[in-house]
Amino acid sequence: MTHQTHLFHMVNPSPWPIMGAMAAMMLTVGLVLWFHCNLNLILLLGLTSTLLIMFQWWRDIVRESTYLGHHTPPVQKGLRYGMILFITSEVFFFLGFFWAFYHSSLAPTPELGGQWPPTGITTLDPFEVPLLNTAVLLASGVTVTWAHHSLMEANRASAIHALILTIILGLYFTALQAMEYYEAPFTIADSSYGSTFFVATGFHGLHVIIGSTFLMTCLYRQTMHHFTSNHHFGFEAAAWYWHFVDVVWLFLYISIYWWGS
Amino acid sequence: MLQGAKMLRSLLTLRQTSQRTINTTSCRQFKNRVPEKQKLFQEEDGLPVHLKGGVTDHLLYRTTMAVTVFGTIYAVYELFVAGMPKKQK
Repeated sequence: MTHQTHLFHMVNPSPWPIMGAMAAMMLTVGLVLWFHCNLNLILLLGLTSTLLIMFQWWRDIVRESTYLGHHTPPVQKGLRYGMILFITSEVFFFLGFFWAFYHSSLAPTPELGGQWPPTGITTLDPFEVPLLNTAVLLASGVTVTWAHHSLMEANRASAIHALILTIILGLYFTALQAMEYYEAPFTIADSSYGSTFFVATGFHGLHVIIGSTFLMTCLYRQTMHHFTSNHHFGFEAAAWYWHFVDVVWLFLYISIYWWGS
Repeated sequence: MLQGAKMLRSLLTLRQTSQRTINTTSCRQFKNRVPEKQKLFQEEDGLPVHLKGGVTDHLLYRTTMAVTVFGTIYAVYELFVAGMPKKQK
């Protein structure tokens, strides 16, 4: 029986990467066919296969780490670099939408009435629900840090409580934002104000939902005793992602909600 | 090997700590089944990790493969149809 003499992870052959690529094609083609040919089956199949593949791929990573011990320190270092690079790419993604916002708002065209906010747009009061949303996300940043410290101190109950609180705050933010979207006096079609507002805050909301899902997975894993006090990178990655989501909101709040009102 | 032993020791320590913590709080008890899972997945049966969990793994894999392959072929077909010139009246 041969054993490897190095600390790196030689992954088993896996079907998920190629199937993930096929699912991504189904999502993109599905969107196009939905928009232009009134066909939504491919999009639905794409969403289904994407979710199935994500679940199984990440399930396999949990197996490889927690059950098989493949996440040695060098492997973990690589995962840390990977997560940081991914979050950096997401920063650039949002930078684009902030660019669009500042492009439209710093030099408003005559079609907008030469002003920002454009003529006829009733903006949201930044000191009402948006300020509450800011407080909610900042508080969730505190609770996720509390969860991390509890985890490092092997305080199981505290870690679980703090994680639950963080998730509740994340869901509260999503609910508040959904209500704001429903009650907003303007739509996505209302000039570049509407498009920059809803695309930027909409993608942010999607990231809050993704982050909340990641944290819920961590809660599940913590209850199942997967994390140890000195090895819990999945949780750290979720916490980094959550802080990133919080920081994006702060920029959104200051730029779009406050300065832009 | 040493890393594995250290991990196992810290896992056992966490188990003991968590048992102490749980006994003094009102948290629901979740038994630590990680050692059982470790034994299951470390069995030398030649199965890749995505199929090693049992029958559910195979079912889920086949379902996913079916949806993905069908969807891909159907997507390419619809693209072909969309690219063909429409019939004139």
